[in-house]
Amino acid sequence: MTETKKQVENLFRYEYGKIIGVLINKFGPSNLERIEDAVQDALLKAMQVWGYKNLPDNPTSWLYRVATNNLIDVLRRDKKILLKGDDTTILTENHVRIPEIVLESAISDSQLKMIFACCHPSLSVDYQIILSLKLIGGFGNGEIAKALLKKEDSVAKSYTRAKRQLKSNITTLDIPIEIGLQSRLSIVLRVIYLLFSEGYASSTGSEIIKRDICLEAIRLALLLSENEYCNRPNVNALLALMCFHTSRFDARVNENGELVDLEHQDRTKYDNDLIAIGIEHLEKASKAVLEPSNYHLEAAVSYYHCIAKTFELTNWNSILNLYNLQLKRQYSPVVELNRIVPYYKVNGAKKAMGKLLEFESSTYFKVSVLYYAIKAELLLRLGSKEETLGALKAAIDLTENEMEQKHFLKKMVELRKVMLDDQ
Amino acid sequence: MSNFLFLFRGGDAARTNQTPEEMQEHMQKWGAWMGGLKEKGQLVDGLPLAKEGNVVKKGGEVITDGPFAEGTEVVGGYLIVTANDQKGAVEISRGCPIFEHGGNVEVRQIMSMDM
Repeated sequence: MTETKKQVENLFRYEYGKIIGVLINKFGPSNLERIEDAVQDALLKAMQVWGYKNLPDNPTSWLYRVATNNLIDVLRRDKKILLKGDDTTILTENHVRIPEIVLESAISDSQLKMIFACCHPSLSVDYQIILSLKLIGGFGNGEIAKALLKKEDSVAKSYTRAKRQLKSNITTLDIPIEIGLQSRLSIVLRVIYLLFSEGYASSTGSEIIKRDICLEAIRLALLLSENEYCNRPNVNALLALMCFHTSRFDARVNENGELVDLEHQDRTKYDNDLIAIGIEHLEKASKAVLEPSNYHLEAAVSYYHCIAKTFELTNWNSILNLYNLQLKRQYSPVVELNRIVPYYKVNGAKKAMGKLLEFESSTYFKVSVLYYAIKAELLLRLGSKEETLGALKAAIDLTENEMEQKHFLKKMVELRKVMLDDQ
Repeated sequence: MSNFLFLFRGGDAARTNQTPEEMQEHMQKWGAWMGGLKEKGQLVDGLPLAKEGNVVKKGGEVITDGPFAEGTEVVGGYLIVTANDQKGAVEISRGCPIFEHGGNVEVRQIMSMDM
């Protein structure tokens, strides 16, 4: 009993995305709403029938058959048969039978096409993310709202608008081959990276759903890596990066639900299997690369954090070099700010403070939570306790994230205790 | 011991708005509930019913589509369980996941021929 339960974890959600993809590929994005209804009805039927009996041997083909028959009924009823060529024959068939092997390849083929459709450059980033989560990931509006800290009806509204745009901009599903693939692929990768970041961001959003979003982002990148045209070094670099980050998921939050920073994480909680998979992809990513992408550099930083026995034993020199490379490629104030951490570990708090002040006076400087967090850390090392409290207070005032607020508050309380003991 | 018929009615409106994840959760609750009945030897038979159907009246002179127009009262499935008496059967029905969706269970004793 428990065994079958384990096998079907998230089954409905995965199946939803799979079957939506196959049907949109077959019947065209213009039937998007009808397809959604047909798949929803198939799942509803499955819920009712499978509750009584055991799952069928192949749930996917069961659902596919039921959903297709639902859809054909609706299309017949609506007499809006917008199909081309041979595909009209499907409407005259009574039963849909499709060999399992054919279905399997139809699924991975259509899922890949769905990624390119949902990440189409004519759609805004917000729409790309919501379409990917809904149509490929099978997430519900409520789940997305919880994970992204938005209102459910605003998610529903933007999904409706996103669908409208998708339908008017994309008439058939295709994978751009050769020419144009690289530029399209880089947009797809950026969407997957954003999707992952949304899931990974430590916030008050539901932890379980957020982890599922991270895993979904990894699944999409894996799909790309399995296609001969899409299996490029930057795809593998992004995969490595996501595996390394996800391996630390359990260590980021302690049993009291409090945020744990890198320095204090219990490294035995890191997922070694995921780290190994990440290393595999990082190796693949390094083959035949003339110039590493940002994903390469970020993955390498994450790699050094994952394999370090302790925070102190981290290879800070290499991490600092990677940040330098990143800055040289493309200047970013966030990267410069982040670089101060390894710079401090290599060169000491005093020099790092100098860098921070330098950054403060640059034109790029903008007050941020991260800035105050780093400042507090450096001030503490330099022994300026009062000023540390001030920086922590500023960080608390600035962040809207409850977990972060608690985290900084805890640091303040600990510091005050030390200060009282000193007196 | 007697057999009892459970008729499940309603709950459709709540179901159509579910996410795939919620549907799966609900399905697993039914599975767990029925699995429990099976383990205790209380489950005799049962299946869900299709939404579509006809009502035939007057020897076939009047045939209407669908069971009933009012969606909340449509029978969605049945179950046959064994229990000591009506009270025991009602007790069994209390654990049914249909209540989560605002549906109800009609519990009727199946008459035995050798009374």
